[in-house]
Amino acid sequence: MNSALVKIVGGVIVAAAAIILFGAAFTVSQTQYGLVLRFGETVRTISNPGLYFKWPLIDAVLTFDKRILDLDRPAQEVIASDQKRIVVDTFTRYRVDNPLLFYQTMQSIEGANRRLASIVDSTLRGVIGDATFTTVVKTDRDGLMQKMRSEVNQQAKGFGIEIVDVRIRRADLPEANQKAVFQRMQTERQREAADIRAQGQEQSLGIRARADREVATIRGEANQKSEELRGAADAERNAIFAAAFGKDPDFFTFYRSMQAYETGLKAGDTRMVLSPDSDFFRYFSDPAGRRASSPTPAN
Amino acid sequence: MPWSNQSGGGGGPWGGPPKNPGPWGSGPQGGGPSGGGQRPPDLEDILRRSQDTIKNLFPGAGGGRVGGKGAALVALGIVAIWLATGFYTVRPNEVGLNLVFGRYVGTTLPGLNYNWPAPIGSVIKPTVTEVKTMEIGVRSMADQRRGARSPVDEALMLTGDENIVDIDFAVQWQISPTAPQDYVFNLRGPEATVKAVAESVMREVIGKRNIQPILTTDRQIIETEVRTRMQDVLDRYKAGVVIRLVQLLRADPPAEVIDAFRDVQAARQDQDRAKNEADTYASSIVPVARGDAQRVVQEAEAYRSQNVAEAKGAASRFDQIYAEYKNAPQVTRERMFLETMERVFGRVDKIIIDPKNGGVVPYLPLNELSRPSSPPQRPGQLGSNAARPQDAPR
Repeated sequence: MNSALVKIVGGVIVAAAAIILFGAAFTVSQTQYGLVLRFGETVRTISNPGLYFKWPLIDAVLTFDKRILDLDRPAQEVIASDQKRIVVDTFTRYRVDNPLLFYQTMQSIEGANRRLASIVDSTLRGVIGDATFTTVVKTDRDGLMQKMRSEVNQQAKGFGIEIVDVRIRRADLPEANQKAVFQRMQTERQREAADIRAQGQEQSLGIRARADREVATIRGEANQKSEELRGAADAERNAIFAAAFGKDPDFFTFYRSMQAYETGLKAGDTRMVLSPDSDFFRYFSDPAGRRASSPTPAN
Repeated sequence: MPWSNQSGGGGGPWGGPPKNPGPWGSGPQGGGPSGGGQRPPDLEDILRRSQDTIKNLFPGAGGGRVGGKGAALVALGIVAIWLATGFYTVRPNEVGLNLVFGRYVGTTLPGLNYNWPAPIGSVIKPTVTEVKTMEIGVRSMADQRRGARSPVDEALMLTGDENIVDIDFAVQWQISPTAPQDYVFNLRGPEATVKAVAESVMREVIGKRNIQPILTTDRQIIETEVRTRMQDVLDRYKAGVVIRLVQLLRADPPAEVIDAFRDVQAARQDQDRAKNEADTYASSIVPVARGDAQRVVQEAEAYRSQNVAEAKGAASRFDQIYAEYKNAPQVTRERMFLETMERVFGRVDKIIIDPKNGGVVPYLPLNELSRPSSPPQRPGQLGSNAARPQDAPR
């Protein structure tokens, strides 16, 4: 009986020890912070993961995510300093770096997201509102993002939060402006196309004109050379004739006239009305051969 | 591992007696697959220690020796089996991350590994060799069904010269093989972060450039720049992600204006065509003109040779006749006149009217004279008229 009692008592003790042990031990994982609260008061902040013990039933443990957390904001229309409207959406990456402070000011990740959202939005308006549209889109988006990050970080410090990054995901034109841009792009391209076609015409006409000019030059030069050659030929011919015929101009006149009659008066196209008085017919009526007038061709 | 057990214990297939015991021994109380593995903890030591712990925990029970050795053996067996569940395998495309009480204690490579069994230890095995592809801006049916963010919004981006381009791109990334623990422990939603960073960086890079280079020459540069900048940002987050490749799948003008852009291309073709046509025209007329020019010059040369030769011939003929004529001028002159007239009158129509007889009115039927005959040449005009080839003496 005694040994049975010992057994029962032993069993109870073992069970109680086990319950206390399990109630007292807790783990904080690699991705978490732990806060040990005693009646609502923070007694311990745990940053390193591992196995920890607390007083069972008295202490409560809260864990917070230690990883980089994300906050994506929907797109919103912002006015840049040059009055242009831009649709911007951002995403923020942050991490809890002081779990105690975070717990005291934010209580939960959801609460932190709500607070951060308004901080990010107002910072976005401020930073973009100070910058020109071109700065946002083209020249210094990186600088603006850094500025936003440091400003948000400044404001979030009191909440035990460290801002890892605030980035502009998109910075686009509002729908209505987009249509205007499309129209401008279209007209720009149309102008470009017209310009290119006109250039084609210009080049084409230029090439044709140059070709025509070249042709004219070639022909003109050829004609010039031809005339020169012909002129030289004529001069040479005249010189030859002059040299030959100059020996007796009187005989030449006679000789050449004879040739001219022969070639000039052809059969079929010449009709002569002659007087028998002409020199040719001088023996017609007078065998002594008196001179008469020369023959006259008709027409 | 059955192989090492065979060769170590029962003798290999080569039949020789085992000179040494297996490298890991074959501790039977280790249970199960203790024969192999990378570096198993010293199981006997562990068992002995846990035995001691149990003894220390229950000094009363130990002192009483109530259940005897049987109960102790059963407890030992249970502990041994529990410890044996700590073995796990890591597949070749994975690494193992060992956690003890939630704390990351080390990385293991593919093969058989050991960690403390649950609830003390746990293992996370991320796939590190797989290259994942994320397409941004691509209109897939699945996206539309899910009602996800309109891909058109994702795809349209503002360029530096305030134009809009339609960009689809793909990011190939993988969990960093050297720092998989960063991927697992550092970010909540690492995949969403990769996508957000990709979009943000691509828009930033596109925003710096003008539309024309984006559409044509700068594609490669954009891909490289986006990749390096994404890597920079993710490294700053310690995301444990390696960006392998950024690929521009499409960089087009938006659908609303693409016709105008295509028309520019067409205009370039038109320009080339106009130029080619003009070149064709030029190359067809210029050689012909050169040929013509040669012909004209050659004709002139021919004229020259012909006329000079003819003149020389005529001069020579005259010289010879003149030489004869000088011998008997009167007779020769008469003879030549008569011979010529003989030939001329021999072939022309002639009417001889004696004016002394009078009374005949010459009637000329002009309509029958279709062509006026050339007027008689006067000797004085001969020199200049002789320049015309048709008048040259035969």
